[in-house]
Amino acid sequence: MKRAGRWLLLVAAVLLMAYPLGWMIAVSLRTPDGLSLRFYGEVWSAGPFDRYFINSLVVAAVVVTGNILFCTMAAYAFARYRIRGAKFLFFLVLSTIMLPKQVILVPLYILMQRMGLIDSYWALTLPFLVDPFNIFLIRQYLLSIPTDCEEAARIDGAGELSILFRVVFPMLTPVLAVVAIHTTLTNWNSFLFPFILTNSTDMRTLPVGLALLSQGAHSIDWGHLMAGAVISALPVVIAFLIFQRRIIGGLTTGMTR
Amino acid sequence: MARRPSPVVWLLAPWALIYGTFFVFPFLFSFALCFLDYNPLNVANTSFVGGQHFARLIHDENFHGALRNTLFFVVGTVPVTTTLALALAWLLRGPLPMKNVLKAAMFLPSILSVVVIALLFKLFYAPGGALNETLRVLGLSGHTWLTDPATALPAIMAMDVWAAVGYYALVLYAAFTAIPESLYEAAELEGAGAWATFRHVTFPMLKPAIGFVLVINTIRSFQVFVEVLVMTQGGPLGSTNTMVLMLYDTAFRRLDYGYASVIAYAVFALSGVFSVLAMRRMRAQTPAQTRSVPA
Repeated sequence: MKRAGRWLLLVAAVLLMAYPLGWMIAVSLRTPDGLSLRFYGEVWSAGPFDRYFINSLVVAAVVVTGNILFCTMAAYAFARYRIRGAKFLFFLVLSTIMLPKQVILVPLYILMQRMGLIDSYWALTLPFLVDPFNIFLIRQYLLSIPTDCEEAARIDGAGELSILFRVVFPMLTPVLAVVAIHTTLTNWNSFLFPFILTNSTDMRTLPVGLALLSQGAHSIDWGHLMAGAVISALPVVIAFLIFQRRIIGGLTTGMTR
Repeated sequence: MARRPSPVVWLLAPWALIYGTFFVFPFLFSFALCFLDYNPLNVANTSFVGGQHFARLIHDENFHGALRNTLFFVVGTVPVTTTLALALAWLLRGPLPMKNVLKAAMFLPSILSVVVIALLFKLFYAPGGALNETLRVLGLSGHTWLTDPATALPAIMAMDVWAAVGYYALVLYAAFTAIPESLYEAAELEGAGAWATFRHVTFPMLKPAIGFVLVINTIRSFQVFVEVLVMTQGGPLGSTNTMVLMLYDTAFRRLDYGYASVIAYAVFALSGVFSVLAMRRMRAQTPAQTRSVPA
Protein backbone atom coordinates (compact mmCIF):
# COMPACT_ATOMS: atom_id res chain seq x y z
CA MET A 1 0.00 0.00 0.00
CA LYS A 2 1.18 3.52 -0.74
CA ARG A 3 2.63 5.48 2.13
CA ALA A 4 0.00 8.21 1.95
CA GLY A 5 -2.78 5.61 2.10
CA ARG A 6 -1.24 3.94 5.13
CA TRP A 7 -0.81 7.26 6.83
CA LEU A 8 -4.40 8.31 6.20
CA LEU A 9 -5.69 5.00 7.52
CA LEU A 10 -3.60 5.41 10.67
CA VAL A 11 -4.80 8.95 11.20
CA ALA A 12 -8.39 7.78 10.78
CA ALA A 13 -7.82 5.00 13.33
CA VAL A 14 -6.23 7.39 15.81
CA LEU A 15 -9.05 9.93 15.41
CA LEU A 16 -11.59 7.17 15.99
CA MET A 17 -9.70 6.22 19.14
CA ALA A 18 -9.53 9.84 20.30
CA TYR A 19 -13.25 10.45 19.73
CA PRO A 20 -14.56 9.20 23.11
CA LEU A 21 -11.71 11.03 24.88
CA GLY A 22 -12.60 14.30 23.20
CA TRP A 23 -16.25 13.82 24.14
CA MET A 24 -15.24 13.29 27.79
CA ILE A 25 -13.32 16.57 27.89
CA ALA A 26 -16.15 18.43 26.14
CA VAL A 27 -18.75 17.19 28.64
CA SER A 28 -16.51 18.07 31.61
CA LEU A 29 -16.16 21.67 30.38
CA ARG A 30 -19.73 22.34 29.21
CA THR A 31 -21.51 23.91 32.19
CA PRO A 32 -24.95 25.56 32.19
CA ASP A 33 -23.20 28.95 31.95
CA GLY A 34 -20.89 28.14 29.06
CA LEU A 35 -17.44 26.61 28.96
CA SER A 36 -15.81 26.71 32.38
CA LEU A 37 -13.84 24.72 34.92
CA ARG A 38 -16.73 24.88 37.38
CA PHE A 39 -17.28 21.09 37.51
CA TYR A 40 -13.58 20.61 38.18
CA GLY A 41 -13.61 22.98 41.14
CA GLU A 42 -16.74 21.41 42.60
CA VAL A 43 -15.64 17.81 42.24
CA TRP A 44 -12.17 18.73 43.55
CA SER A 45 -13.35 20.12 46.87
CA ALA A 46 -16.67 18.33 47.37
CA GLY A 47 -15.90 15.09 45.47
CA PRO A 48 -13.63 15.02 47.52
CA PHE A 49 -11.09 14.54 44.78
CA ASP A 50 -8.46 16.57 46.62
CA ARG A 51 -8.33 13.88 49.30
CA TYR A 52 -8.34 11.03 46.71
CA PHE A 53 -5.58 12.79 44.83
CA ILE A 54 -3.36 13.06 47.91
CA ASN A 55 -4.04 9.41 48.79
CA SER A 56 -3.12 8.26 45.28
CA LEU A 57 0.02 10.39 45.40
CA VAL A 58 1.15 9.10 48.82
CA VAL A 59 0.44 5.48 47.93
CA ALA A 60 2.23 5.71 44.58
CA ALA A 61 5.27 7.38 46.16
CA VAL A 62 5.57 4.76 48.90
CA VAL A 63 5.01 1.81 46.55
CA VAL A 64 7.50 3.08 43.96
CA THR A 65 10.15 3.76 46.63
CA GLY A 66 9.58 0.35 48.18
CA ASN A 67 9.88 -1.43 44.85
CA ILE A 68 13.04 0.43 43.87
CA LEU A 69 14.69 -0.29 47.21
CA PHE A 70 13.56 -3.82 48.04
CA CYS A 71 13.48 -5.21 44.51
CA THR A 72 16.99 -3.91 43.86
CA MET A 73 18.24 -5.59 47.04
CA ALA A 74 16.61 -8.91 46.14
CA ALA A 75 17.70 -8.70 42.50
CA TYR A 76 21.27 -7.96 43.60
CA ALA A 77 21.27 -11.02 45.83
CA PHE A 78 19.84 -13.23 43.06
CA ALA A 79 22.28 -11.88 40.45
CA ARG A 80 25.52 -11.68 42.41
CA TYR A 81 25.47 -14.40 45.04
CA ARG A 82 25.45 -18.11 44.60
CA ILE A 83 22.60 -19.29 46.79
CA ARG A 84 21.56 -22.91 46.80
CA GLY A 85 18.19 -23.37 45.09
CA ALA A 86 18.08 -19.67 44.15
CA LYS A 87 17.46 -20.27 40.48
CA PHE A 88 14.57 -22.58 41.20
CA LEU A 89 13.13 -20.20 43.77
CA PHE A 90 13.52 -17.28 41.38
CA PHE A 91 11.62 -18.94 38.55
CA LEU A 92 8.97 -20.21 40.91
CA VAL A 93 8.36 -16.64 42.04
CA LEU A 94 8.42 -15.39 38.46
CA SER A 95 5.79 -17.93 37.39
CA THR A 96 3.34 -16.51 39.94
CA ILE A 97 3.15 -13.34 37.84
CA MET A 98 0.78 -15.29 35.61
CA LEU A 99 -1.55 -16.00 38.52
CA PRO A 100 -4.77 -13.98 38.45
CA LYS A 101 -4.56 -11.59 41.40
CA GLN A 102 -8.18 -12.37 42.33
CA VAL A 103 -6.99 -15.67 43.81
CA ILE A 104 -5.43 -13.91 46.79
CA LEU A 105 -8.09 -11.19 47.07
CA VAL A 106 -10.25 -12.87 49.71
CA PRO A 107 -7.43 -14.28 51.89
CA LEU A 108 -5.56 -10.98 51.72
CA TYR A 109 -8.70 -9.20 52.88
CA ILE A 110 -9.09 -11.64 55.79
CA LEU A 111 -5.41 -11.20 56.69
CA MET A 112 -5.62 -7.42 56.61
CA GLN A 113 -8.75 -7.49 58.72
CA ARG A 114 -7.10 -9.76 61.27
CA MET A 115 -4.08 -7.44 61.40
CA GLY A 116 -6.43 -4.49 61.88
CA LEU A 117 -5.03 -2.77 58.81
CA ILE A 118 -8.18 -2.45 56.70
CA ASP A 119 -8.80 1.13 55.63
CA SER A 120 -5.27 2.36 56.25
CA TYR A 121 -2.25 3.39 54.19
CA TRP A 122 -0.68 0.10 55.32
CA ALA A 123 -3.34 -1.86 53.45
CA LEU A 124 -2.86 0.30 50.36
CA THR A 125 0.93 -0.05 50.27
CA LEU A 126 2.36 -3.07 52.14
CA PRO A 127 1.14 -5.85 49.80
CA PHE A 128 2.45 -4.00 46.73
CA LEU A 129 5.98 -3.12 47.85
CA VAL A 130 7.74 -5.96 46.01
CA ASP A 131 6.54 -6.82 42.53
CA PRO A 132 8.35 -9.99 41.35
CA PHE A 133 8.40 -8.63 37.81
CA ASN A 134 10.53 -5.70 38.95
CA ILE A 135 13.01 -8.10 40.60
CA PHE A 136 13.17 -9.95 37.29
CA LEU A 137 13.81 -6.76 35.29
CA ILE A 138 16.56 -5.53 37.62
CA ARG A 139 18.22 -8.95 37.85
CA GLN A 140 18.33 -9.26 34.05
CA TYR A 141 19.91 -5.81 33.84
CA LEU A 142 22.44 -6.63 36.56
CA LEU A 143 23.50 -9.81 34.75
CA SER A 144 24.28 -7.71 31.68
CA ILE A 145 26.71 -5.33 33.43
CA PRO A 146 30.24 -6.43 34.44
CA THR A 147 31.18 -6.84 38.10
CA ASP A 148 34.52 -4.96 37.75
CA CYS A 149 33.42 -1.85 39.63
CA GLU A 150 31.99 -3.88 42.48
CA GLU A 151 35.18 -5.99 42.70
CA ALA A 152 37.33 -2.86 42.71
CA ALA A 153 35.26 -1.35 45.51
CA ARG A 154 35.46 -4.61 47.43
CA ILE A 155 39.27 -4.64 47.14
CA ASP A 156 39.28 -1.06 48.41
CA GLY A 157 37.56 -2.43 51.49
CA ALA A 158 34.04 -1.15 50.90
CA GLY A 159 31.29 -2.97 52.78
CA GLU A 160 28.45 -4.75 50.94
CA LEU A 161 26.02 -2.02 51.91
CA SER A 162 28.06 0.77 50.39
CA ILE A 163 28.88 -1.32 47.30
CA LEU A 164 25.17 -1.79 46.66
CA PHE A 165 24.12 1.80 47.27
CA ARG A 166 27.21 3.72 46.11
CA VAL A 167 28.44 1.55 43.23
CA VAL A 168 25.60 -0.61 41.91
CA PHE A 169 22.63 1.69 42.41
CA PRO A 170 23.86 4.51 40.15
CA MET A 171 24.53 2.04 37.34
CA LEU A 172 20.92 0.84 37.48
CA THR A 173 19.32 4.18 36.54
CA PRO A 174 17.90 3.05 33.14
CA VAL A 175 16.20 -0.05 34.49
CA LEU A 176 15.03 1.71 37.65
CA ALA A 177 13.35 4.32 35.45
CA VAL A 178 11.38 1.53 33.77
CA VAL A 179 10.55 0.06 37.18
CA ALA A 180 9.39 3.45 38.48
CA ILE A 181 7.21 4.14 35.43
CA HIS A 182 5.72 0.65 35.34
CA THR A 183 5.00 0.67 39.07
CA THR A 184 3.53 4.17 39.07
CA LEU A 185 1.15 3.38 36.19
CA THR A 186 -0.07 0.09 37.66
CA ASN A 187 -0.48 1.57 41.09
CA TRP A 188 -2.09 4.85 40.06
CA ASN A 189 -4.71 3.01 38.02
CA SER A 190 -5.24 0.11 40.39
CA PHE A 191 -8.88 -0.38 41.40
CA LEU A 192 -9.77 -3.81 42.77
CA PHE A 193 -7.43 -4.12 45.76
CA PRO A 194 -7.73 -0.51 46.99
CA PHE A 195 -11.51 -0.82 46.57
CA ILE A 196 -11.69 -3.96 48.73
CA LEU A 197 -9.06 -2.95 51.29
CA THR A 198 -10.53 0.46 52.19
CA ASN A 199 -14.00 1.56 53.20
CA SER A 200 -13.97 5.21 54.30
CA THR A 201 -14.03 8.22 51.98
CA ASP A 202 -10.80 9.43 53.58
CA MET A 203 -8.82 6.39 52.43
CA ARG A 204 -10.07 6.06 48.85
CA THR A 205 -7.72 6.51 45.92
CA LEU A 206 -8.67 8.26 42.67
CA PRO A 207 -9.99 5.27 40.66
CA VAL A 208 -12.00 4.03 43.65
CA GLY A 209 -13.39 7.48 44.46
CA LEU A 210 -14.30 7.98 40.83
CA ALA A 211 -16.12 4.63 40.60
CA LEU A 212 -18.04 5.43 43.79
CA LEU A 213 -19.01 8.87 42.49
CA SER A 214 -20.56 7.13 39.48
CA GLN A 215 -22.62 4.84 41.73
CA GLY A 216 -23.69 7.40 44.29
CA ALA A 217 -26.20 9.66 42.61
CA HIS A 218 -29.69 8.62 41.53
CA SER A 219 -29.34 10.20 38.13
CA ILE A 220 -25.90 10.41 36.63
CA ASP A 221 -24.30 13.82 36.71
CA TRP A 222 -22.02 13.47 33.68
CA GLY A 223 -20.37 16.87 33.97
CA HIS A 224 -18.93 16.27 37.44
CA LEU A 225 -18.17 12.64 36.66
CA MET A 226 -16.17 13.47 33.55
CA ALA A 227 -14.34 16.27 35.40
CA GLY A 228 -13.40 13.65 38.02
CA ALA A 229 -12.27 11.28 35.28
CA VAL A 230 -10.06 13.96 33.73
CA ILE A 231 -8.55 14.79 37.14
CA SER A 232 -7.77 11.09 37.67
CA ALA A 233 -6.18 10.69 34.28
CA LEU A 234 -4.34 13.99 33.97
CA PRO A 235 -1.24 13.22 36.09
CA VAL A 236 -0.44 10.02 34.18
CA VAL A 237 -1.21 11.65 30.84
CA ILE A 238 1.17 14.53 31.62
CA ALA A 239 3.83 12.07 32.83
CA PHE A 240 3.27 10.06 29.67
CA LEU A 241 3.74 13.09 27.42
CA ILE A 242 7.01 13.93 29.20
CA PHE A 243 8.49 10.42 29.34
CA GLN A 244 6.75 9.17 26.21
CA ARG A 245 9.69 7.50 24.50
CA ARG A 246 10.85 5.76 27.65
CA ILE A 247 7.35 4.56 28.54
CA ILE A 248 6.60 3.10 25.12
CA GLY A 249 10.09 1.59 24.91
CA GLY A 250 10.04 0.22 28.44
CA LEU A 251 6.57 -1.22 28.34
CA THR A 252 6.74 -2.79 24.92
CA THR A 253 10.22 -4.30 25.26
CA GLY A 254 9.68 -5.16 28.92
CA MET A 255 6.55 -6.69 27.41
CA THR A 256 4.21 -6.58 30.35
CA ARG A 257 2.22 -4.23 32.44
CA MET B 1 31.58 -14.52 46.70
CA ALA B 2 29.71 -17.37 48.31
CA ARG B 3 32.21 -17.40 51.16
CA ARG B 4 30.38 -14.50 52.82
CA PRO B 5 26.73 -15.54 52.84
CA SER B 6 25.60 -13.04 55.46
CA PRO B 7 24.63 -10.12 53.14
CA VAL B 8 22.26 -12.42 51.29
CA VAL B 9 20.10 -12.70 54.38
CA TRP B 10 19.47 -8.98 54.79
CA LEU B 11 19.35 -8.37 51.06
CA LEU B 12 16.51 -10.84 50.69
CA ALA B 13 14.83 -10.19 54.04
CA PRO B 14 12.46 -7.30 53.11
CA TRP B 15 11.33 -9.03 49.95
CA ALA B 16 10.92 -12.43 51.62
CA LEU B 17 9.01 -10.94 54.53
CA ILE B 18 6.58 -8.91 52.43
CA TYR B 19 6.19 -11.47 49.68
CA GLY B 20 5.76 -14.27 52.20
CA THR B 21 3.17 -12.43 54.29
CA PHE B 22 1.13 -10.78 51.56
CA PHE B 23 1.44 -13.25 48.71
CA VAL B 24 2.62 -16.76 49.68
CA PHE B 25 0.49 -16.97 52.82
CA PRO B 26 -2.74 -15.66 51.18
CA PHE B 27 -2.07 -17.95 48.24
CA LEU B 28 -1.83 -21.05 50.45
CA PHE B 29 -4.80 -19.79 52.47
CA SER B 30 -6.85 -19.39 49.27
CA PHE B 31 -6.19 -23.02 48.49
CA ALA B 32 -7.39 -24.08 51.93
CA LEU B 33 -10.46 -21.83 51.65
CA CYS B 34 -11.67 -23.88 48.67
CA PHE B 35 -12.40 -26.74 51.06
CA LEU B 36 -13.81 -24.70 53.93
CA ASP B 37 -17.12 -23.17 54.82
CA TYR B 38 -15.77 -19.83 56.02
CA ASN B 39 -18.02 -16.97 57.04
CA PRO B 40 -16.17 -13.86 58.25
CA LEU B 41 -18.98 -13.01 60.67
CA ASN B 42 -18.80 -16.44 62.25
CA VAL B 43 -15.21 -17.62 61.99
CA ALA B 44 -15.50 -19.96 64.98
CA ASN B 45 -17.93 -22.10 63.00
CA THR B 46 -15.56 -22.68 60.10
CA SER B 47 -15.92 -26.25 58.91
CA PHE B 48 -14.28 -28.56 56.41
CA VAL B 49 -16.66 -29.30 53.54
CA GLY B 50 -14.40 -31.29 51.21
CA GLY B 51 -15.26 -30.92 47.54
CA GLN B 52 -18.71 -29.51 48.23
CA HIS B 53 -17.93 -26.08 46.74
CA PHE B 54 -16.63 -27.68 43.55
CA ALA B 55 -19.76 -29.79 43.20
CA ARG B 56 -21.87 -26.68 43.75
CA LEU B 57 -19.93 -24.80 41.09
CA ILE B 58 -20.62 -27.45 38.47
CA HIS B 59 -24.38 -27.22 39.02
CA ASP B 60 -24.61 -23.46 39.64
CA GLU B 61 -26.79 -21.84 36.96
CA ASN B 62 -25.45 -18.45 37.96
CA PHE B 63 -21.89 -19.63 37.36
CA HIS B 64 -22.84 -21.17 34.00
CA GLY B 65 -24.10 -17.75 32.91
CA ALA B 66 -20.96 -16.01 34.16
CA LEU B 67 -18.77 -18.61 32.47
CA ARG B 68 -20.68 -18.26 29.18
CA ASN B 69 -20.39 -14.47 29.27
CA THR B 70 -16.69 -14.57 30.13
CA LEU B 71 -15.89 -17.08 27.38
CA PHE B 72 -17.91 -15.01 24.91
CA PHE B 73 -15.96 -11.95 26.01
CA VAL B 74 -12.56 -13.66 25.61
CA VAL B 75 -13.34 -15.39 22.32
CA GLY B 76 -15.00 -12.27 20.95
CA THR B 77 -12.30 -9.74 21.89
CA VAL B 78 -8.88 -11.41 21.87
CA PRO B 79 -8.79 -12.44 18.16
CA VAL B 80 -10.30 -9.10 17.08
CA THR B 81 -7.84 -7.07 19.16
CA THR B 82 -4.89 -9.14 17.91
CA THR B 83 -5.91 -8.85 14.24
CA LEU B 84 -6.51 -5.09 14.47
CA ALA B 85 -3.25 -4.63 16.39
CA LEU B 86 -1.41 -6.55 13.68
CA ALA B 87 -3.00 -4.36 11.01
CA LEU B 88 -2.09 -1.16 12.86
CA ALA B 89 1.48 -2.38 13.42
CA TRP B 90 1.77 -3.20 9.74
CA LEU B 91 0.49 0.26 8.77
CA LEU B 92 3.05 1.86 11.09
CA ARG B 93 6.16 0.35 9.50
CA GLY B 94 8.67 2.45 7.63
CA PRO B 95 9.11 6.22 7.78
CA LEU B 96 5.85 8.14 8.23
CA PRO B 97 5.08 11.78 9.01
CA MET B 98 4.29 12.43 12.69
CA LYS B 99 4.97 8.81 13.54
CA ASN B 100 5.70 9.51 17.20
CA VAL B 101 2.43 11.41 17.59
CA LEU B 102 0.53 8.49 16.09
CA LYS B 103 2.31 6.03 18.37
CA ALA B 104 1.63 8.17 21.43
CA ALA B 105 -2.05 8.51 20.53
CA MET B 106 -2.35 4.74 20.12
CA PHE B 107 -0.66 4.13 23.44
CA LEU B 108 -2.73 6.67 25.38
CA PRO B 109 -5.73 4.43 26.33
CA SER B 110 -3.41 1.88 27.96
CA ILE B 111 -2.17 4.38 30.54
CA LEU B 112 -5.71 5.24 31.63
CA SER B 113 -7.40 3.54 34.56
CA VAL B 114 -10.05 1.00 33.60
CA VAL B 115 -12.45 3.01 35.76
CA VAL B 116 -11.87 6.12 33.64
CA ILE B 117 -12.31 4.12 30.43
CA ALA B 118 -15.48 2.43 31.71
CA LEU B 119 -17.05 5.77 32.68
CA LEU B 120 -15.98 7.30 29.42
CA PHE B 121 -17.82 4.59 27.52
CA LYS B 122 -20.80 4.60 29.82
CA LEU B 123 -21.21 8.18 28.63
CA PHE B 124 -20.30 7.24 25.06
CA TYR B 125 -23.15 4.69 24.93
CA ALA B 126 -25.65 6.75 26.97
CA PRO B 127 -28.76 8.38 25.49
CA GLY B 128 -27.43 11.72 24.28
CA GLY B 129 -23.89 10.31 24.33
CA ALA B 130 -21.39 10.45 21.50
CA LEU B 131 -22.52 7.26 19.77
CA ASN B 132 -26.25 7.99 19.76
CA GLU B 133 -25.72 11.63 18.81
CA THR B 134 -23.55 10.57 15.88
CA LEU B 135 -26.16 8.05 14.77
CA ARG B 136 -28.83 10.76 15.00
CA VAL B 137 -26.79 13.13 12.84
CA LEU B 138 -26.41 10.32 10.30
CA GLY B 139 -30.18 9.86 10.32
CA LEU B 140 -30.08 6.52 12.12
CA SER B 141 -32.02 5.66 15.24
CA GLY B 142 -30.20 5.45 18.55
CA HIS B 143 -30.24 2.64 21.05
CA THR B 144 -29.90 2.16 24.81
CA TRP B 145 -26.83 -0.01 24.36
CA LEU B 146 -26.10 -0.85 27.99
CA THR B 147 -29.66 -1.58 29.10
CA ASP B 148 -30.52 -4.05 26.35
CA PRO B 149 -29.39 -7.61 27.25
CA ALA B 150 -28.59 -8.25 23.60
CA THR B 151 -26.17 -5.33 23.19
CA ALA B 152 -24.74 -4.71 26.68
CA LEU B 153 -21.95 -7.29 26.57
CA PRO B 154 -20.95 -6.61 22.93
CA ALA B 155 -20.82 -2.89 23.79
CA ILE B 156 -18.41 -3.59 26.66
CA MET B 157 -16.38 -5.86 24.38
CA ALA B 158 -16.07 -3.13 21.76
CA MET B 159 -14.80 -0.83 24.49
CA ASP B 160 -12.21 -3.40 25.54
CA VAL B 161 -10.92 -3.67 21.97
CA TRP B 162 -10.68 0.13 21.84
CA ALA B 163 -8.76 0.25 25.11
CA ALA B 164 -6.33 -2.61 24.37
CA VAL B 165 -5.57 -2.47 20.66
CA GLY B 166 -3.04 0.39 20.70
CA TYR B 167 -0.80 -1.19 23.31
CA TYR B 168 -0.67 -4.53 21.52
CA ALA B 169 -0.14 -2.77 18.19
CA LEU B 170 3.00 -1.16 19.60
CA VAL B 171 4.23 -4.47 21.02
CA LEU B 172 3.78 -6.07 17.58
CA TYR B 173 5.31 -3.03 15.89
CA ALA B 174 8.45 -3.51 18.01
CA ALA B 175 8.56 -7.11 16.78
CA PHE B 176 8.06 -5.91 13.18
CA THR B 177 11.09 -3.63 13.36
CA ALA B 178 13.20 -6.55 14.59
CA ILE B 179 12.69 -8.53 11.35
CA PRO B 180 15.91 -8.29 9.33
CA GLU B 181 15.56 -6.43 6.03
CA SER B 182 17.52 -9.21 4.28
CA LEU B 183 14.54 -11.57 4.64
CA TYR B 184 12.38 -9.19 2.63
CA GLU B 185 15.10 -8.80 0.01
CA ALA B 186 15.32 -12.58 -0.30
CA ALA B 187 11.55 -12.82 -0.70
CA GLU B 188 11.61 -10.12 -3.37
CA LEU B 189 14.40 -11.92 -5.24
CA GLU B 190 12.25 -15.03 -5.32
CA GLY B 191 9.39 -12.95 -6.71
CA ALA B 192 7.06 -13.25 -3.72
CA GLY B 193 4.02 -10.94 -3.77
CA ALA B 194 2.83 -8.82 -0.85
CA TRP B 195 0.52 -11.49 0.58
CA ALA B 196 3.04 -14.31 0.12
CA THR B 197 5.71 -12.17 1.80
CA PHE B 198 3.43 -11.52 4.76
CA ARG B 199 2.44 -15.16 5.02
CA HIS B 200 5.85 -16.74 4.66
CA VAL B 201 8.20 -14.09 6.06
CA THR B 202 6.44 -11.57 8.30
CA PHE B 203 3.93 -13.82 10.03
CA PRO B 204 6.35 -16.63 10.99
CA MET B 205 8.83 -14.06 12.32
CA LEU B 206 6.07 -12.42 14.36
CA LYS B 207 4.73 -15.64 15.82
CA PRO B 208 6.50 -15.39 19.19
CA ALA B 209 5.28 -11.79 19.65
CA ILE B 210 1.75 -12.71 18.59
CA GLY B 211 1.88 -15.61 21.03
CA PHE B 212 2.91 -13.22 23.80
CA VAL B 213 0.10 -10.81 22.92
CA LEU B 214 -2.46 -13.64 22.83
CA VAL B 215 -1.38 -15.00 26.20
CA ILE B 216 -1.34 -11.76 28.19
CA ASN B 217 -4.54 -10.54 26.57
CA THR B 218 -6.27 -13.86 27.28
CA ILE B 219 -5.23 -13.83 30.93
CA ARG B 220 -6.31 -10.20 31.26
CA SER B 221 -9.64 -10.78 29.50
CA PHE B 222 -10.61 -13.71 31.70
CA GLN B 223 -10.38 -11.29 34.61
CA VAL B 224 -12.82 -8.74 33.15
CA PHE B 225 -14.55 -7.14 36.11
CA VAL B 226 -14.10 -3.41 36.74
CA GLU B 227 -15.68 -2.47 33.40
CA VAL B 228 -18.77 -4.50 34.22
CA LEU B 229 -18.99 -3.28 37.80
CA VAL B 230 -18.86 0.36 36.72
CA MET B 231 -21.01 0.13 33.59
CA THR B 232 -23.75 -2.44 34.21
CA GLN B 233 -23.11 -4.25 37.53
CA GLY B 234 -23.69 -7.52 35.71
CA GLY B 235 -27.09 -6.53 34.32
CA PRO B 236 -29.38 -6.28 32.50
CA LEU B 237 -30.76 -9.73 33.40
CA GLY B 238 -27.29 -11.08 34.16
CA SER B 239 -26.22 -10.57 30.55
CA THR B 240 -22.90 -9.00 31.57
CA ASN B 241 -22.24 -11.06 34.69
CA THR B 242 -18.63 -12.33 34.49
CA MET B 243 -16.70 -14.84 36.58
CA VAL B 244 -14.73 -12.23 38.53
CA LEU B 245 -17.86 -10.13 39.12
CA MET B 246 -19.50 -13.26 40.52
CA LEU B 247 -16.39 -13.89 42.65
CA TYR B 248 -16.66 -10.36 44.03
CA ASP B 249 -20.39 -10.75 44.71
CA THR B 250 -19.94 -14.14 46.37
CA ALA B 251 -17.14 -12.95 48.62
CA PHE B 252 -18.05 -9.40 49.53
CA ARG B 253 -21.83 -9.29 49.23
CA ARG B 254 -22.75 -12.85 50.26
CA LEU B 255 -19.66 -13.32 52.48
CA ASP B 256 -19.22 -16.85 51.16
CA TYR B 257 -15.40 -16.85 51.13
CA GLY B 258 -14.95 -20.57 50.48
CA TYR B 259 -17.09 -20.65 47.38
CA ALA B 260 -15.51 -17.42 46.14
CA SER B 261 -12.07 -19.04 46.31
CA VAL B 262 -13.28 -21.92 44.16
CA ILE B 263 -14.47 -19.40 41.56
CA ALA B 264 -11.05 -17.72 41.67
CA TYR B 265 -9.40 -21.05 40.88
CA ALA B 266 -11.85 -21.63 38.04
CA VAL B 267 -10.73 -18.31 36.52
CA PHE B 268 -7.11 -19.31 37.06
CA ALA B 269 -7.56 -22.78 35.51
CA LEU B 270 -9.46 -21.52 32.45
CA SER B 271 -7.07 -18.68 31.68
CA GLY B 272 -4.17 -21.11 32.13
CA VAL B 273 -5.65 -23.64 29.69
CA PHE B 274 -6.43 -20.98 27.09
CA SER B 275 -3.00 -19.36 27.29
CA VAL B 276 -1.22 -22.70 26.96
CA LEU B 277 -3.32 -23.42 23.86
CA ALA B 278 -2.49 -20.02 22.39
CA MET B 279 1.21 -20.44 23.14
CA ARG B 280 1.32 -23.94 21.60
CA ARG B 281 -0.24 -22.77 18.34
CA MET B 282 2.09 -19.83 18.00
CA ARG B 283 5.30 -21.63 18.92
CA ALA B 284 4.98 -24.44 16.36
CA GLN B 285 7.53 -24.24 13.52
CA THR B 286 8.95 -20.84 14.40
CA PRO B 287 12.57 -21.76 15.23
CA ALA B 288 12.97 -24.10 12.26
CA GLN B 289 11.70 -21.49 9.82
CA THR B 290 13.88 -18.71 11.09
CA ARG B 291 16.92 -20.96 10.76
CA SER B 292 16.11 -22.24 7.27
CA VAL B 293 16.15 -18.72 5.82
CA PRO B 294 19.69 -17.51 5.10
CA ALA B 295 20.40 -14.29 6.96
